[in-house]
Amino acid sequence: MSQELTRMLDTLTKDIAGAKVTLKRARRMRIDVDADALPALLELLQGRGSYVHLSAISCVDWIDDNQFELVYHVWSYESNSLVSAHTRIPRDPGVYLSIYDLYKPAAFFERDIHEMFGLYFEGSPSMEKFILTEWEGPPPMRKDFDAEAWVRDTFTERDYNPEWLKELTDAGGGIAIRPQDIRK
Amino acid sequence: MRPENYQAINHPPSHEYELNFGPNHPGIEGNYALKVKLQGDQVVEAHADGGYLHRGFEKLMEGRLWIQNIALVPRICVPDPVPMEMAYSLAVEELGGLEVPIRAQWIRVMQLELSRIAAHLFTFGGHAATTGMYTTMYWGVADRDLFLDLFEELTGGRVYHIYNIPGGVRRDIPDGYLDRVTSTLDYLESRLPDYDNLFFTNQVFVKRATGTGTMTQQQALEWGVTGPNLRATGLKLDVRRDDPYLVYDEIDFDIATEEAGDAWARTLVRRKELQQSIRIVRQVIERLPSIGGPIRCPIPNPLAWNVPAGEAYARIDSSKGEVAYYVVSTGGDKPYRVHVRGPSSMHAVQVLENLVTGGRLEDVAQIMFSLDACPPEVDR
Repeated sequence: MSQELTRMLDTLTKDIAGAKVTLKRARRMRIDVDADALPALLELLQGRGSYVHLSAISCVDWIDDNQFELVYHVWSYESNSLVSAHTRIPRDPGVYLSIYDLYKPAAFFERDIHEMFGLYFEGSPSMEKFILTEWEGPPPMRKDFDAEAWVRDTFTERDYNPEWLKELTDAGGGIAIRPQDIRK
Repeated sequence: MRPENYQAINHPPSHEYELNFGPNHPGIEGNYALKVKLQGDQVVEAHADGGYLHRGFEKLMEGRLWIQNIALVPRICVPDPVPMEMAYSLAVEELGGLEVPIRAQWIRVMQLELSRIAAHLFTFGGHAATTGMYTTMYWGVADRDLFLDLFEELTGGRVYHIYNIPGGVRRDIPDGYLDRVTSTLDYLESRLPDYDNLFFTNQVFVKRATGTGTMTQQQALEWGVTGPNLRATGLKLDVRRDDPYLVYDEIDFDIATEEAGDAWARTLVRRKELQQSIRIVRQVIERLPSIGGPIRCPIPNPLAWNVPAGEAYARIDSSKGEVAYYVVSTGGDKPYRVHVRGPSSMHAVQVLENLVTGGRLEDVAQIMFSLDACPPEVDR
């Protein structure tokens, strides 16, 4: 079954230059493809390979290679297998094509990736903010955004010692542990 | 006013107005908002507005050890947290090449199905409340509590269990636990006719829900609908059957379907799934005592655990639809990237917008609850 699938995908992708099909395990296939050939590959997978369900689009920031990796997970309800199409695009300028005309669910994932990674998808129905509506900073899921440092720079730490707590503590109550209660 | 001073007011060309539906609204699941444009009480346009529950889990996970993330993942979907733990664990197990012992797999199936029952009971309550039937809500929440008791005994936590770790489960079932599960299931089964009378065959619900928020098979497939919502359009598709994980391929169960594709069909599918889940858990109860062996495989020191480099995509059928985790490791002690695909990122955004448009304002809440949308999954 898995061999048949690999054969089917090999024939499907034979016209796509640079496409490499790997069988990862049962029902999981991986195809590595160049960025400019990916829409054609997905069109073939959908139209001739029955991969009609776009499960997700994942983005990985490979900052050391200065690249974004986009992974399109498509599922076939007929052959019950998942193809993950991997492609890499340069981090700068970070612009890619939308696949909304092939898969409608792409609208959400592309919008999400745009918001979290700052990658722009040409032709996507909406690139407006969705989750981080009031966020002005850089796209937070990029590897060069350090959330902890941002918190340190933005907020000041303050000791919390209100009068009422001091009174309680002095009286030996509240959150303080009385000396006789300390376990030896 | 003198006639010469009179100036006609320029009315806008239509009588449309905008309404913020949520984020604090009893008809919205969780903190979520819909911006609807209305003409009378008819919805002309709808835009989902999320982000009120964004906690940045994906970023947080990149900064924590593999084992620490177990405490984070269940918080991504509050009503049905087990599939989140499970999908993450399955992905890490695939990366690490861990072989989960059979006993742990059966315990996991039991926990998944109990979680599905609890989540469905919760949804019925919410859905009934949108049609004005609050008794079902009280019943649903009260009966769900019995399942939370079971979780508490098994895992120590009522809502967030943090029970599945990569490699197996944290502890074995307590003595006499299976008897208590059986009696709770018996109780729930005895309650189902009451639920039918109160809610599922209640004409208030049937008349409101029939024909509300209808989608065709074609639309459902196009919009990426999964889980019970997809099965309500007549398609027998279930990740448990099509892409079996754990021991689901050894378990006998039917895939519940309905043909109509409307709010009524979606709720009935969940009602049927309740029975199937009971059936699955009963099979686990039957098999589990005869399966010995460990409950988890040996894993390296979890505080210094470098998961081998690679990437894995684990899919699970939760009570809401397809939950998937894409996990990338570079061989370090922390994940390089974790991407969470919650089913509600489709159901609560695109599908909801499409189904609500053209309908009436009073049906918005019902459509949202019938889709069983879970906003924390969208925001993550």
